[in-house]
Amino acid sequence: MTDSMMVFDRRAVRAHRDRAAATIARYDFLLQEVAGRLIERLEDVKRDFSVALDLGCHTGGLRPALRATGKVGSLVSCDFSPAMVSRAAGPRVAADEEALPFKGGSFDLVISLLSLHWVNDLPGTLLQIRSALKPDGLFLGAMLGGQTLKELRHALAEAEIAGEGGLSPRVSPFADVRDAGDLLQRAGFALPVIDAEILTVVYPDPLKLMSDLRGMGETNATIERRKSFTRRATLLDGLARYRNAFGNEDGTVPATFQVVYLSGWSPHESQPKPLRRGSARNRLADALGNS
Amino acid sequence: MSTESVDPKLLEILVCPLTKEPLRYDSEHQELISERAGLAYPIRDGIPIMLPDEARPLDTDSSGKVAP
Repeated sequence: MTDSMMVFDRRAVRAHRDRAAATIARYDFLLQEVAGRLIERLEDVKRDFSVALDLGCHTGGLRPALRATGKVGSLVSCDFSPAMVSRAAGPRVAADEEALPFKGGSFDLVISLLSLHWVNDLPGTLLQIRSALKPDGLFLGAMLGGQTLKELRHALAEAEIAGEGGLSPRVSPFADVRDAGDLLQRAGFALPVIDAEILTVVYPDPLKLMSDLRGMGETNATIERRKSFTRRATLLDGLARYRNAFGNEDGTVPATFQVVYLSGWSPHESQPKPLRRGSARNRLADALGNS
Repeated sequence: MSTESVDPKLLEILVCPLTKEPLRYDSEHQELISERAGLAYPIRDGIPIMLPDEARPLDTDSSGKVAP
């Protein structure tokens, strides 16, 4: 994926989130699950953070969990969707992750839960996050990765090729784990760490999966998506293919979510770093015991 | 008019998302003004809406003064 490629229609991203805001609590199990795991990672950091930003806060569900860690002082909640952020508590602001409205060096912690996979310009966004951090500030994020919804992607693609003789993206693409690591480094984060895990969620049927995605505001927002509705026959065929190819014996279906965790520190001289090239004082040969 | 007022500490750290320059707070109209970008970002129910799409373009008259 090239940096300049516009993949997502950001107006659609916002519209999906606006629409989902009122009822997201019914569908937010994935957010809650990943929130718990992200908070665990924060608890592993032996530091307190006096000013924090929740970037892509949805309806502000992370606030009580962050408070409970006792590590975070004041928290600013920020979301692209005014309808989402208006449901959050405390200081809040509506802003686009691709154009952050924060003064440099404002935060000790920027945390982001399942929002950054909708950003077109992830390198630019990471750069802006880094600059919004104080020196030695922490960025901790979770976003959906490339394996996410692979079953749905596969089933709908097959149905579309069979029924309509062509293919348009039905499921949004997600970033690769390796890409994410490179991007953190290129954005100037020190001590970057990436890891990923697969969560498999079992749904009663594929239709329920699709309604949950809609409920979370996570439906396809690629620019190349077809603006017309999927033909009913194609959709039904896709759902049948999903059941046949991936379904369990009891009729339920699994859905894969790959969660990519990113963390990095804004640079500070106290952090460990490699020595300058040619600055070695001891010969490698001596260390190896042969001279 | 909004019933809720904007958090003063939040105002201190906000800049224009396009120019990254400081904003002028118009408490009467509940707007955050970015002269350079020519935009007034609305504050709704105490929530600054820092989205250029939602901002009001500023009109400048011949004297260079900003008219409402």
